[in-house]
Amino acid sequence: MKHASLRRFWVVAAFGLLLAATAAYLSLTNGTFDMSVMDVIQTLLRIHPQAEHDLVVFEFRLPRIVLGALVGFSLGVAGAIIQGVTRNGLADPGILGINAGAGLAVVLFMFLFQGAVTATGWLGVMLMPMFGVAGGLLATAAIYMFAREQGKLDPQRLILVGIAIASGFGALTMYISLKMNPNDYEMAVVWLAGSLHNANWKFVATMLPWLLLLPLICIRSHVLDLFQLSEESQKSVGMPVEREKNIFLLCSIGLVSASVAVSGSIAFIGLIAPHLARQLVGLRHIRIIPVSGLVGMIMVLTGDFIGKTVFAPAELSVGIVVSIIGVPYFVYLLIRSRG
Amino acid sequence: MRLKRTLPVTILAMAPAAIVLLILASILYGAKNITAGEVWNSITAFNPDNVDHQIIMSSRLPRAVGAMMIGAFLAVSGALMQGMTRNYLASPSIMGVSDGSVFAVTLCMIFLPNANPNLYIVSSLIGSALGAAIVFGLAWCIPQGLSPVRLAILGSIVGTFLSGVAHALSTYFQVSQNISFWYNARLHQMNPELIRLSIPFAIVGLTLAVVISKSISALSLGEEIATGLGIRTWLTRALAILAVVLLTGVSVALAGKIAFVGLIIPHIARFFTGSDYRWVIPVSGVLGGIFLAMCDIVARFINYPFETPVGVVTALIGVPFFLYLIKTRGGAGA
Repeated sequence: MKHASLRRFWVVAAFGLLLAATAAYLSLTNGTFDMSVMDVIQTLLRIHPQAEHDLVVFEFRLPRIVLGALVGFSLGVAGAIIQGVTRNGLADPGILGINAGAGLAVVLFMFLFQGAVTATGWLGVMLMPMFGVAGGLLATAAIYMFAREQGKLDPQRLILVGIAIASGFGALTMYISLKMNPNDYEMAVVWLAGSLHNANWKFVATMLPWLLLLPLICIRSHVLDLFQLSEESQKSVGMPVEREKNIFLLCSIGLVSASVAVSGSIAFIGLIAPHLARQLVGLRHIRIIPVSGLVGMIMVLTGDFIGKTVFAPAELSVGIVVSIIGVPYFVYLLIRSRG
Repeated sequence: MRLKRTLPVTILAMAPAAIVLLILASILYGAKNITAGEVWNSITAFNPDNVDHQIIMSSRLPRAVGAMMIGAFLAVSGALMQGMTRNYLASPSIMGVSDGSVFAVTLCMIFLPNANPNLYIVSSLIGSALGAAIVFGLAWCIPQGLSPVRLAILGSIVGTFLSGVAHALSTYFQVSQNISFWYNARLHQMNPELIRLSIPFAIVGLTLAVVISKSISALSLGEEIATGLGIRTWLTRALAILAVVLLTGVSVALAGKIAFVGLIIPHIARFFTGSDYRWVIPVSGVLGGIFLAMCDIVARFINYPFETPVGVVTALIGVPFFLYLIKTRGGAGA
C-alpha cells in the first residue's frame, strides 16, 4: 500500500515535469518573433549561433520561462504551507493580504528610490525582494494581531482580516502609485497586475537564494502533517506548536514576497495548486509540497503562454489569465466543501 | 422607546442644514479658492463669461451634489443588503455588484464606442444585476454560503473574476486607457448630464427601499419570524435586490468603484436608530451622503493641489472600521 502511493507520487511528479517542459517548450518556440523548432534547438546547443536568435532566446524567452517556473513553484509551495498551517483550504497568500503587503512595500521602494536605484540594476534587484519580505511580514503581523483571540488563531476570522488588510494595503498602494512620475507609474501598474513581462536574468538570480528555503521546508514537512491533528493531540505529541507555526509561516512569507518582488501579485496559484496536489498524491505533506510546487509551475507557465499568444499583439499578464481560469475551479471547491 | 425616536428624528431634521453647509464647503474649497459671495452671485445672477461662475456651475456644484447622491445610494444599498442577509459584512463593494457594473460598462465601451451616456447607466445597471445574481446565486447553492466569511470570499472572488475578464477584454480591444480613466473615476470628473439621467433610476430605487423597509426589519429578525409576521420573504428579497441593483448601478455609472461607504454607514446608522429599518434606511442615506461629501473634501487636501481618488480616503477610514467589526463580531452570523 505504502509502496503504491509512493509509486503514484513518482508518476505524478514525472508527468508534472513533462507538462511543465511542454509548456516551457511552447513558450520558447512561439511568440511575435517566430522561430522554428530547429532554430531553437540550434541556438540552445550553440550550433551555427545567430545573433538574432541568441537575443530572442537568451535575453527574452528563456529568462521569462525560468522566472515563471521559479515563481510558480514558490507560490505553490507557499500555498501548501499556509493551508497546512491554518488547516483552512481557503487560505491563500493573496486572500490573506501577504501579496498586498509585499506589493505595497515594493511600490514604496520604486517610489522612494526612483532614479537613484534603477529597478533593473543589481542593487535594486537585490533590495526589492527584501522590501517585499518586510511588507509581507508587516501584513502578516497585522493579520496576526487582529485575527488572534485569546492566543488562538481563528481560521474564519483570519480570512476576513486578510480581506480587510488586503484592501487597505491596496488603497495605500494606489495612493503611492499615483504620486509617482508617469514612467514609474506605468511600470508599477504593469507589475502590480502580476506579469512576467520584465523578466531578466537578474530577477532569476534574486529568486534563487529564497529557494534555499525549500529543502528546509521539505525536511520539516512531517510537522505539517501533525498540524492536521486536533490541538490536544498536537500538545500530547510534545510539539512546540506556536514556534513551528511561526517557522513555517516565515518560510512561506519569504517565498511569496520574493515572488511578488519579481513578478507582482499572481493570485490563485497558492489557493488552487495545493488542492490539486492533495487530490493527486494524498495527504502527506512531504508529497503535497513538491507536487503543489510543480502544479504552480505548470499553471504559471501555461498562463503566461496563453496571455502572450491569445491576446497578441497586446499582452495579458499571467496574473489575470490565472485568475480567470482559477475562479471557476475555486467556486467548484466551495460548492463541494461542507460548512 | 421615546428616546430611540428622538435621535433619528433629530438627525433627519438637521440633515438639510448639514447638506447645504457641506455643499457650500465643497464648492468653496479646492485647487482654486472661491469666495462665498461669488457662489451667491453665480446662483442669483449667473454670468457665463465669469470663469468662477463657470467653475461653480459646471464642476464644483455637480461634484458636491454627486458625492452626496452616491454616498446616500451606496449606504442605502448596504443597509438593505445587511438587513436582508443578516450578514454584517454585506455591502455593494464586497458583493461583486460594483465589479459586475464595471464589467458591463467595459463591454459597452468596446462594442458601442459612440454610445450616449444614457447607455452607460443602463449597462452599469445590467452589470450590477449580473454581479449580484452571480454572487447570491452561488451563495444559495453553497453550504452556508450566506455566512459572513463565505459571502465575503465569494464576493471578492467573483469580483476578481469579473474585473479580470473586463481587463482581459479591454486589453484585447485596446480600450484599456478609456477604461482605467473611467475605473478610477474621481469625483472631479462628475458629469452633470449623467447626474440628471440617473435621477429617475435613483428615485425608483430609493422609493422601493423605503417601501420595503418594514419588511426588511422583519427579515433581519430571521426567516421564520418574518414568515410568522406575514411577510412575503421572497418578494421582499427580490424587491430589495432590485433596489440595490438600481442604486449601486447608478453610483458606479457616476463615479466608478467607491468601497466601504455601504459597509460602514449602516452600522453607524443602526448605532443611532436601533434595528428598525424604517429609520435605519433614511438615516443611512443621510449619513452616507454627508460621509462621502466630507471624504471628497478631505481627498482634495491630502496631496494638495493634486486630487486623491476618494476611494483611498474611504478605504483609510473603512479598513480600521472593518477590522473593528471583525474583532467584535467574529466569523459567525449577524
